[in-house]
Amino acid sequence: MIQVINLSKKYGNFNAVNNINFTVEKGEILGFLGPNGAGKSTTMNIITGYISATEGTVKVDGFDILEQPQEVKKRIGYLPEIPPLYVDMTVEEYLQFVCKIKKVKASDRKEMLNNIMNAVKINDVKSRLIKNLSKGYKQRVGLAQAMIGDPEVLILDEPTVGLDPKQIIEIRNVIKGLGKKHTIILSSHILSEVSAVCDKVLIINKGEVVAIDTPENLSKKLSQSNRILLRVKGPKKEVLNIIKNIEDISKAQFQGIKEEGTVDILAEGKEEKDIRENIFYALSKKNYPILMMKSIDLTLEEIFLQVTNGQKEDIL
Amino acid sequence: MIAIFGKEFRSYFTSATGYIFMGFFLLISGIFFSIINLYSQSPVYNDVLSSITFIFLFVVPMITMRLISEETKQKTDQLLLTTPLKVWEIVYGKYLAALGLFLITLLITVLYPIILSFFGNLAVGEIIGGYIGFFLLGAAFISVGIFISSLTDSQVVAAVATVVVLIVFWIMDTIVQALPKDRISSIIFAGILVLALATYIFFNMRNIYISICVLVVGILIMVAIYIFKVSLYDGFMIKIFEWFSLLKRYQSFKMGIFDVSSVVYFITFSYGFIFLTIQSIEKRRWS
Repeated sequence: MIQVINLSKKYGNFNAVNNINFTVEKGEILGFLGPNGAGKSTTMNIITGYISATEGTVKVDGFDILEQPQEVKKRIGYLPEIPPLYVDMTVEEYLQFVCKIKKVKASDRKEMLNNIMNAVKINDVKSRLIKNLSKGYKQRVGLAQAMIGDPEVLILDEPTVGLDPKQIIEIRNVIKGLGKKHTIILSSHILSEVSAVCDKVLIINKGEVVAIDTPENLSKKLSQSNRILLRVKGPKKEVLNIIKNIEDISKAQFQGIKEEGTVDILAEGKEEKDIRENIFYALSKKNYPILMMKSIDLTLEEIFLQVTNGQKEDIL
Repeated sequence: MIAIFGKEFRSYFTSATGYIFMGFFLLISGIFFSIINLYSQSPVYNDVLSSITFIFLFVVPMITMRLISEETKQKTDQLLLTTPLKVWEIVYGKYLAALGLFLITLLITVLYPIILSFFGNLAVGEIIGGYIGFFLLGAAFISVGIFISSLTDSQVVAAVATVVVLIVFWIMDTIVQALPKDRISSIIFAGILVLALATYIFFNMRNIYISICVLVVGILIMVAIYIFKVSLYDGFMIKIFEWFSLLKRYQSFKMGIFDVSSVVYFITFSYGFIFLTIQSIEKRRWS
């Protein structure tokens, strides 16, 4: 549905986006992750035709954004980072105006607006001026605006920013619901959101794609080794030595003392070997009781930090 | 385009801008009408129109300053430019909204000559000609205002810059008188123009070859003119500056002369600035 091909954007000598490639299939929800200034908004602005790329191109439903911008724009609903609202209009006037510029047939407008306003729950504020609305409502009006004209593709730049937790869940459900019929690209800082909503995650850093996969695969791929956090009652040096000498353990690291008389140790096993039994027997032989044993899987948060920082050791 | 026109036109009246514009315009024109026609018992209505041209300095920035700068600032241009709307539809919609407001206000002032007509026969043709000239002059200034509004995201900067540029148009005739008339300075001026054009193309297209080509072609043309028809350089600089003297063109309308070439001139002038506005919005997306 969406093909991004060798996309680059330069501002002077600064590479905002550097040779990005990815595709989004029909009906997929793609999550766009990255730190501030990674190029998320720039990429979205290029896909929607707001700014042009320095190199490369974007195709939506087979139409090239440079050659047939009208066709592409017809198929895209865009919610930018700052919702583009005319604050002197009422919600309804504003949405009517958007209907007009998106060339929605006059006969369809009423029904479409009703459906959309119900979906994002702004029916009760429809006759209020936009400038008097709270940030959460403004965000919803922005989302409603993107949905007008029933575009096949929705591009949402941080759709849940500024909402309270209850609203976040509501909006997420709206987006999930939309994902059944639409192709969606959504960017976010909130990683749990991406893993909750998206089929695929794309992590972008300094204008380059660092990872693209399903949330599950990503976390599997990056936690190649099985890692275990231990709390053992005993002296630090000795315990560490015992663990280091156990077969199949590649690394053992001291993690500090959380309880008196105990040590916390992070043990890392070799590839697919289960190291838990070995640790138990080795320590019980020396009479050092294990108070806690916890296997550590990388959360999306850690993966994110890992790929954006390019280092793995600092996690935890 | 109609949607944009409607939105802009309504926003003049949902904010105070439209009312202030109309009120100020009608107040000043009313005062001048009273003094020039009523108190001094003169039937020459076109004197009123030509005396109030200075209002443009104040009212044009008022209605043009936010037209595009506000969209840039509030990021609502992201909505307009990502819908299937074309840039020219946006710019023309906005331009026509400002023009519409101006036209309606101007139509209200038609009351003044109607009042005059109670007291005798008026030169109707002359007044109509005067109105057409006045409207075209305003349309040209509005096009300058909308262009300046597209260059910045600050309403204040747009307003101040518009006033400054309009003042330059005002004193153009005086500037022209001070310009040197000799050949050499005209040649230097032509050279500067060619260089400026080449530099502009370089900064827009980032292509050194094309801009060098333009520079070379420009210099060749200048040399050719120098060899074959050097008299073209006489007063060249003055001719260029005179072209921008809008008020001088307006004078002929004031006399009641309907000069087609002046009509074409004003329309071309307005179209030129609208075109530049469209270019400046398009260019922003490429930079």
